[in-house]
Amino acid sequence: MTNFWNLVQNENMKIYLRLRTWIMLGIIVLIPILLTVGLTLVTDDSDGNMWELMGTETIIVFSLITIFTVVISAESVAGEFSAGTIKLLLIRPWSRSSILASKYVALLLFSILQSIVCFAVTWAINALVLGYTSDPGGIIPESSPMEGHSIWAYMGVHYLYEWLQLVMVVSFAFMLSSAFRSSGLAIGLSIFLLFAGGTITGLLTLTDKAWVKYILFANLDLTSYLDGRSPLPNMDMTLGFSLIMLAVYFIIFNAVSWTVFRKRDVAA
Amino acid sequence: MSQAPVARLQEVTKRIGSRTIIDRLSLEVNPGEVFGFLGPNGSGKTTTIRMMVGLMAMTSGDIEIGGHSVRKEYPLAASQVGAIVENPEMYKYLTGYQNLVHFARMNPGVDRKRIDEVVELVGLEGRIHDKVKKYSLGMRQRLGVAQAVMHRPKLLILDEPTNGLDPAGIRELRDYLRQLAQAEGTSVFVSSHLLSEMELMCDRVAIIQTGKLIDIRSIRGAAASEHQQTEAREVLFEVDHTDAALGVLQGQGGVRIADGQLALTAAREEIAETNRRLVQAGIRVYGIRTKTKSLEDQFLEVTGGESVD
Ligand SMILES: Nc1ncnc2c1ncn2[C@@H]1O[C@H](COP(=O)(O)OP(=O)(O)OP(=O)(O)O)[C@@H](O)[C@H]1O
Ligand SMILES: [Mg+2]
Repeated sequence: MTNFWNLVQNENMKIYLRLRTWIMLGIIVLIPILLTVGLTLVTDDSDGNMWELMGTETIIVFSLITIFTVVISAESVAGEFSAGTIKLLLIRPWSRSSILASKYVALLLFSILQSIVCFAVTWAINALVLGYTSDPGGIIPESSPMEGHSIWAYMGVHYLYEWLQLVMVVSFAFMLSSAFRSSGLAIGLSIFLLFAGGTITGLLTLTDKAWVKYILFANLDLTSYLDGRSPLPNMDMTLGFSLIMLAVYFIIFNAVSWTVFRKRDVAA
Repeated sequence: MSQAPVARLQEVTKRIGSRTIIDRLSLEVNPGEVFGFLGPNGSGKTTTIRMMVGLMAMTSGDIEIGGHSVRKEYPLAASQVGAIVENPEMYKYLTGYQNLVHFARMNPGVDRKRIDEVVELVGLEGRIHDKVKKYSLGMRQRLGVAQAVMHRPKLLILDEPTNGLDPAGIRELRDYLRQLAQAEGTSVFVSSHLLSEMELMCDRVAIIQTGKLIDIRSIRGAAASEHQQTEAREVLFEVDHTDAALGVLQGQGGVRIADGQLALTAAREEIAETNRRLVQAGIRVYGIRTKTKSLEDQFLEVTGGESVD
């Protein structure tokens, strides 16, 4: 049997040989540049702290990265069905699980690539325009468990938490994509999950029922912990608890994707 | 054939909901034979092929390819198969070549040289670096054949492969499939609507209708030619005086005048005998034509010429 990496290479080829992927990467590069340059021109002030602006831009760009990865992941399975290419893909000497796994790995690699581009660009443009400093400015709150650590460590953890949220949303999209074979539905519902998450968490804080802390939305945004807050202020929640909850949802989403993809007849 | 069959379908059944789409279908494909799979629209040809390549699960029964069960050892069974199922859909945003590289990576032992070889084989050298979205249906079909034979499978499964090909392309494909079977010992399992096509390229043909196997016929080989020797067929004699000829042959099997010619039913030896009698009676014979029952006639006979159901 040829090796699994060949399958991942194929999936990569199907991602990177499309124009839209490069438009997405272009947008990720362009947005921080436009924001930093635009802000300094408007406020006519170039003494801001580079890390503060980098943090803000990261939050904005990361929602784009999540959307882009959702779009590619929704297309990754459902697109093969709608184009009919799934037939030629599945008649190879590979189990369906391996093929699905290769798609999932390629998606995660794509999200990591985007995160690295995001980090590099937001760091470089702000260091260039505002000047490099190792002073974190006001970005690390005093309540943060990262207080006293270097700004590099703080940013690293910040990226990690943002990325974990992305993994959850993308797994959700991937599940819908293989269960319903409709990329539109997968994209729509996942983006709803991403943006309505905050609002719904807000609503959840209004109730003091204990079960709300088990809901996915309440655990999606790990960056609250980084700032020393609980996602639901009136609940007793810890980072460890949220990580376990996310792991549970992660297993459920992927188990559904796998089961449906492995069992289903391909009649496309 | 003494060798083990390349593909063996055993009591394969497919039910979707309460409908039985394939009903206890059993057949074997031998090494190096071109096996035709014939049936009217909706009879279950594509469904059978989907089960052979693992795209659909069987409700019961099993399919073995090269001795490996499609149910239990799918990757082993699949490694011996190359296929096109219905239309050869390729990645439109990739070039023909990139598509081939993609599928080559999934099968062991296909290098760049082999890819170039199959590109030449299907006659796509000139356009292989174009995006597939710019291909015509016939070109996509050729690319489909290229990806199916690339890894030198033991069994090639083609679902209506002549669909979209021009007459020259059909001829090439036919010759190529026969050559594959003869020279490389590849078995070919091919479904088609072009019944006359099957006659030209298949060794045996299975006929199915509403998911049931109706008949398997040999077209080439000993069984088929023996059949030709003894079977009585409709024969037309072109003669100068039909009435006189009718007088000479009075009493012989179904003799009559049709379209100004003398028509009768006779087996091979009887044709020669009839001719001798006519010539002896001083009747000039300009031509003898046997109306061979084409597979199409046989097919319509067997299936009763029914429409889609
Ligand atoms: N996914 C499905 N769900 C329910 N019925 C189906 C499904 N796919 C096919 N069928 C039915 O199964 C029967 C066989 O279909 P199949 O596509 O195998 O026929 P076919 O012999 O390939 O026909 P054609 O010559 O038109 O290609 C048809 O009656 C069809 O309606
Ligand atoms: Mg069909």
